[in-house]
This record gives sequence, C-alpha cells and structure tokens, in this order.
Amino acid sequence: MNFIIIFILTAVSQLFAPWWMVALVPFLINAWRPATSGRAFLISFAAIAVLWFSYGLYLHVNSEGAMSDRIAEIFSLPNGILLLVVTTIVGGLVGGFAGMAGFFLQQLFEIQPARR
Amino acid sequence: MKFVKAILCLIVVIGLVYALDRPWGPVPALGNFLSPFTGFWQNGEKQGIPSSEITLKLDSLREEVIIRFDDVGVPHIFAKNDFDLFYTQGYVTARDRLWQMDLQVRAASGRLSEVLGPATLELDKSSRRLGMGYGAEANIKMVMSEPHSREALLGYTAGVNAYIRSLSPKDYPVEYKLLGYRPEPWKPINSMYMMEQMTLTLAGRSNDLNMSEVLKKYGKDVVNQLFPDYPMLQESPIIPVGTKWDFARVPVPLEIPKLDSSAQTIGAKPLRDIREPKVEGIGSNNWAVGAEKSITGYPILANDPHLELTLPSIWYQVQLHAPGINVYGVSLPGIPSVVIGFNQNVAWGVTNVDADVYDLYKIKFKDSSRGFYWHNNQWKPTRKREELIYVKGQLDPIREDVFYTHHGPVTESSNESLQSPDLAVKWIGHEPGNSFVTFYELNKAKDYNDYRKALAHYVGPAQNFIFADNGKNIAITVNGKLPLKYKDQGKFLLDGTSPTDDWKGWIPAEQNPTVKNPPRGFVSSANQSSTDPTYPYYINWSFAPSERGIRINERLEAMSKANMDSLRMLQNDNFSVQARTILPKLLSILETSPLSPTQKAAQTTLAGWNYQNTPESVAASIFETWVPVLRDAIWKDDFDKNFGAGDYPSRDRTEYLILNQPNERWFDNVNTPQKETLNDVVLSSFKTTLDTLTSRHGAMSPSWQWALVKGTEIRHLSRLIKPFNAPKLRTGGGGSIVNAITKRNGPSWRMIVELGPSPKAYGIYPGGQSGNPGSPYYLNLLKKWEKGELNELLYLASPDDKSPRLTSSIKLLKN
Repeated sequence: MNFIIIFILTAVSQLFAPWWMVALVPFLINAWRPATSGRAFLISFAAIAVLWFSYGLYLHVNSEGAMSDRIAEIFSLPNGILLLVVTTIVGGLVGGFAGMAGFFLQQLFEIQPARR
Repeated sequence: MKFVKAILCLIVVIGLVYALDRPWGPVPALGNFLSPFTGFWQNGEKQGIPSSEITLKLDSLREEVIIRFDDVGVPHIFAKNDFDLFYTQGYVTARDRLWQMDLQVRAASGRLSEVLGPATLELDKSSRRLGMGYGAEANIKMVMSEPHSREALLGYTAGVNAYIRSLSPKDYPVEYKLLGYRPEPWKPINSMYMMEQMTLTLAGRSNDLNMSEVLKKYGKDVVNQLFPDYPMLQESPIIPVGTKWDFARVPVPLEIPKLDSSAQTIGAKPLRDIREPKVEGIGSNNWAVGAEKSITGYPILANDPHLELTLPSIWYQVQLHAPGINVYGVSLPGIPSVVIGFNQNVAWGVTNVDADVYDLYKIKFKDSSRGFYWHNNQWKPTRKREELIYVKGQLDPIREDVFYTHHGPVTESSNESLQSPDLAVKWIGHEPGNSFVTFYELNKAKDYNDYRKALAHYVGPAQNFIFADNGKNIAITVNGKLPLKYKDQGKFLLDGTSPTDDWKGWIPAEQNPTVKNPPRGFVSSANQSSTDPTYPYYINWSFAPSERGIRINERLEAMSKANMDSLRMLQNDNFSVQARTILPKLLSILETSPLSPTQKAAQTTLAGWNYQNTPESVAASIFETWVPVLRDAIWKDDFDKNFGAGDYPSRDRTEYLILNQPNERWFDNVNTPQKETLNDVVLSSFKTTLDTLTSRHGAMSPSWQWALVKGTEIRHLSRLIKPFNAPKLRTGGGGSIVNAITKRNGPSWRMIVELGPSPKAYGIYPGGQSGNPGSPYYLNLLKKWEKGELNELLYLASPDDKSPRLTSSIKLLKN
C-alpha cells in the first residue's frame, strides 16, 4: 500500500514541485504509516526507482535516446540505458533513506502507528 | 539507540539531498539534472516528423498569427502587421535557439564569466575593453529613433520574452541545465550586441602594429616591395576592371609627412590580443548570372557565407509574410528580419569586404591617471567607462576602467612591458548607425532602386551585397560606411596626437564601388580586392587571397545556360588555383633534386594530380600541407620573433617571389651560416611536409586522403560538450578553394535562387533548425550539406497553401 501511495504522490508532486519530493514524500508517508525499518527502505527505494525508471525509460524510448545517449557520453557511460540505471539508483537511494528516516523519526517520538 | 538510528538516517538523507541539490565544479546539481521530471530527460524530443496543430494565447500580440512548419522544421510565419511578424520570428527563434542567443549575447557583451566562471574572464575583459557595449549603446539609440526598426525590435523582443515566460525549469534548453543557470529576459539592445559580434568577427582585426614593426626593422622600400597594396601576381577584382567611376570625387585627405617619428616607435614586443587571428576560411562567395547566361531567361543568384561551422548553425531559416513583405532566407538568431534571402521580386546575398576599418592610434597621456591626452596641440580630457564583470563563484565583480579618447577606447598596448594600454582603437563597430534597416528594406525590396536605397543605410561590417531582380538586373556593391582616408592610412600604427591621422568623414555611400549589369553578364565576389587600383579612394591595402575569385570568374565566364545545378556544382568546386599557379614550378625544382624512394613516390603523386581537392585525393593533402611549410621556410627567419604567420607577405607575393624572383635574398635562412637558395627551401620544405604527414598519418597510403588529413569537424557552440558535436565529416575543398571547407570553417549556408515569375530557391546549412541535440531537427540537414546537395526551399504565397511538405502548425492568438 505504501508503495502505491509513495509512487502516486511523488509522481503528482514532481510535476510542479522540486526533485527532492522523492525524499519528502517517502519520509512523510513512512512517518505517517510506518512498517519496519527494512520495509521502509525497500518500499521507498522501489517506489521511487520504479517511478524514475519507468518515466525515464518512456522519455528515452520516445526520443530514441537522442538526448540520453549524448548525456551518457558526458558521464563516460556507453549508452542512455546505463545512465537510466544510474538515475534509478540515485533516486531509489534518496527515497529509501528518506523512508527509513521517516520510520525512525516516527519511532523516536513513539507516535502511534496509524495502522499495523 | 533509536535516537542514533534516526539521527544517522536523517543525516544520510539530508546529506544526500544537499549533495544532489548543488553543483560540484563542472558537474550540475544532479538531483534536478537526473530526475526524469525536471532533468535532461525532458529535452529528448519525439523523433520523426510532428504533425500537430496547436493554438497558443500570447501576451501583447496584436492580431492572429499562423506559423506553418515544413518537413525540415522551417517556420513559415503569416502575420497581419510588422509587430506581430517580428514578434513571432522572435518567438520561434527562441523556441529553437534560445541558449545560442543567450550565449552569443553574453560573448558579445562580456558576460560569459557570469555563468561560466573565471575561465572566460580574459575573453570578457577583451570584449569590454574593445567597447562592444559602447558600440551597442550607440547603435540602439539610432535604431529606436527610426519607426520601422523600432517596431521590429520591440516586436522581436516581446516575442522572445513571451517564449521565455512560457518555460518552466524543466523546459529550459539542456545547456542551461548542464551549466546550471536560467534564461534572463531579452532586451532590445541584445540585437545590437549580435551585430557587434558579427562586426567583430568580420572586421575586428588589424595588423597595424606588426606592419609598423616591419617598417621599423626593414624600412619603407622593403615594405613597399613585400607588402604591396595590390596583388602582384594575379587578381580578379570584385568590380570588373574597366568599370567607370562615374561620380564627382570628393577630395581625399592629405598625409602630412611627420617630422617627429616618435609615433612610430613602438616597443620590442607588442602585446597580442587574445582574440584569435583572422583565419582563412572566414570569408564567402557570391555571384549572380544575368538573364542571357541563364537557362531560365532570368537571373540566378548564389551565395555561400563562410564562417566557423558550429552546432547549432549560426543561421536560422525562416519565411516572413505580412502586408508588404513575403521573404524567405536565413536570419541570425537574435536579429529580426532575413539577412540573406529572396522574395517574389529580388534576391540578395553578402560576402565580407576586407575594409580597413580597425585602426590603432598611439596615445600620449598627460600622466598615469590617464585623465588627459595630447591631440591637436592641446590636452584633451578622456572619458572613463567603468565595466563591471561578474564572475560565477565570486562575490565582488571585477572592475575595468576603460579610457576613451575621441578615437575610441584605449585598449591595446604597443609594448608588453607597459603597465597600462597606450593604443586607442578607432573601429567601425563604434559608429552609430542602423544597419538593421538595410536588411528590413531588402526584405521588402521590389527592384534595383529599392536595393540601392536600402544599401545607403548600412554601416558595417562592410559587405559585398550581391543582387538580382525580376527586371533582369544583376548588381554588386562594395557596401558599408567606409572612412575617407589618405592612401595607406591605417596600414601602420597611427599618430593619436595629430589631427592629420584622424578619420575624416566617409566615402559618399553612392560612390562605394558598384556595378550593374556588366558586359560580362555576371557579378561575383569572394572577398578579394574590391576594385583595381584605379578606384579613387583607399579601402584597404590587403584583401583575402584571389584564388576563389579567379576560379569563380573563370567558370562563370565560360558558362552558358546556367541553371541551379551548374551553379551548385560551382559552389562545390574543388579546383586549386593555387596548385595550378605554383605546383609546376615546385615540381620542376624537385625533378632536378636527389629524392629518396618515398619522396619520389610523393612527387609522382603530385605530378599526376588534376589540382582537385577531392575528399579522396592524397596529392591535395601533400600540397595543402606543403604550402604553409614552404611559406614558413621562406619567411620565418625574416619575420620571426614578433610576427605571427598572418603577418608574412601575402600568398600572392610569395608566389610572385618563387616564380619571378628566384634569386631574392629572402630564400636565404639568416640563422644559418650557408646561403640557401629557392631550390634548397623547396626541397627541405618538401621533406618536412612528408615527415609531418608520416608522423601524423603513417606512411603514404589512403590514410593520407585529404578528407582525413583535413578532418573537418563541427563543434557544439560551447566548444566543451563533445557529445553535442557533429559526427566526423568527409569533405573536400579548402581555404583557397571555392568549396571553402577547412577544418572548422566553411560554407555556413549555401543558397541558390532562380528568379522568375515565381522564384525557385535552394539552400542548406550543416546542422538543422533546432539547437536542441535531442531534437530530430538538430542534424537533419548535415548529410545533404556534406554531399554538396541542396534542399528546395518552400516559398509559400499564403497560409492556406497546400504542400505535401507542410507538417505541423501553430496558431497564435492575442491573450
């Protein structure tokens, strides 16, 4: 459930808000709806990673790599897909750690979990 | 424990977000840059040809405008008034070229360091010292006081800004994202900066200092011998020999010989400007054949301006249609109107005039405060202009005080040991004027008289304006505001204290060299001497070498029933007049010399050469490598220390020396005890040439093909972002060749217009309409250009015209 909430909220908020929504959204959701620390990280990581990967892949394919393959070259990567993997990992890590931070912070203040 | 975990996690997250939210050295802020929602991913465009029809509501538009795009991405703009027309030109140009416009204005106004950091500081200082801003400000006043140019500039500005306002950060061109800055609002003066930049590129050099050095070292006789005012061996001037100078001459200022030669004494080592010296390959060709020489029974006009080839292209194609105007051609991003093009009735093009419009004056200051300078036997006050240069990453701007005399800014130094500059620049780029209105009127011109009227407004950079109309006239005019000078005024450093050396008025515009419908049936130019020596005024003592002009004129002379294709072949002509002139003599010398088997093979290759600089020619590689080595071998010892390669006697003079004066002392290398002869120099330079080629490309083989040795490349405007460069190109031609493609310069636009009841035009440039590397229109024209082909240009009569080549369209409505 958290996966879907994070996925949708991040997607929507990023249309108008800055990139670091990928940190803020998982943080808040995990503070609001904590799971376990490991799950907080994994689910947040996965939600952001899947979001960035799928939208990035769409843009990459749509433009036949015209931009992404060139930018990959700037970063000394062989192609845009590999750059997409890097992008995915970066986004995922930020989301994952933010989710975990949200979870621990909630634990710290012993806020009653909303559910489970 | 919980506490530690929470804090640790928070630190990691905040650290990550912080690190990804700021740039690190050249690396942009990665969070924004990598995010598919805001970053570079957004700049990838759907490939293939779009076919959308959209409607936009925009501020300050007056009436409805329709833009129709064709299959190569050229906008055809249909507006109901001038304001809307140029508004839309600004809008679509920004849509395709915003970052280019930004960068070029920054380069011209000395504001690169603001976004690029200290690396470009010297370049910025140079622009500020030269007074690019001073010139732009002088020009904007003139332009804004003329109603048509004011309307055009205000419309263009509003259009560019309407586009910029429509962007959110995710839409910024990718260069902004990479360099980490944002577009700023466009200002009318930016168009003036673009023109200043063009003036700088084409008319912003002088070798006055070096010529003074030569004069000091060798005296007047040698200067006259080696640096003559007209080519000695061969020339084919732009205005055909025998053209009458049919006007009442104005008196030419007199040179008063100076008793005191102190103005000519300069230091041991002049300080060189950091601007790159003018290279061959920055020039252009144009020609027009008359009705009797063409198969259509109407004139045909051709133009290919040679500039540095960049991505995006320096040019942007556009069709502009409104009441009283329907013009197609190329524009310069940042400047409203079409610069080279055609309309229903006329076609025109330009090549550069190498006029002497950049002079240096030795200034005598009263004291080190530079508040007063000596002129006409009195101390006159200077004017101080404060230039503030902001540098990325530094809090306080760098301040440059530039002192202005009535000549211009005191900006260069005659001696590098000087603490502050002592040479004032008198430059056409500072002259207030409204050159824009020339293009505006040409866009609307109906006949020869309109052409002549339009030209009279023009200031600079001086151009050879070629023209043809449906009334079957052809014409060419060496046009620009040209200072009225005594002979050779400005060939050497001038005396800033003496009114004798001041610029004194101008050659009357109608007396600029011009010819209409000459008996030979064609007009042409390739930057060579404007006229033969009978023209009563001094324009310059040296022009671009004559080979391209000679070849063009020979071929046009022989041509009959010319059509688009025969003229296209001429634009792609690879014949080397230089080789024809000098190679037989060089080979005859080699024949009498002992050669190794390798050298013998190279000699045989050259002997069998047809003088065509084709991409696959090995002989062309040997010859083109040899010529500069030979020139160095002859002149380097005599013009070493203080002189650059551009300061040697001209190519024409060198060839004259080799062919007609084989016993001159210049062949001897003064740095060796023995006495070298022409034969020694030819042989040793030939050996050096082969050694150079072997070390760079291996033993003589197909790897010596001219295309590979020349290695033409087209770089992204940033010169930094390699993946945005064009793929490797395979081209023939060369600097002295009609097909003037060198390593980095060449035909930045090739156009041919067949006039007639309905004009048929063809054109191409290396690149595409879009400046976005992620666009299908970034490189779409490159292959055809490389092959020397042209696209037919789609010239529409109305917004409702049907053509299978039309694709998407935009309707603009006022908000």
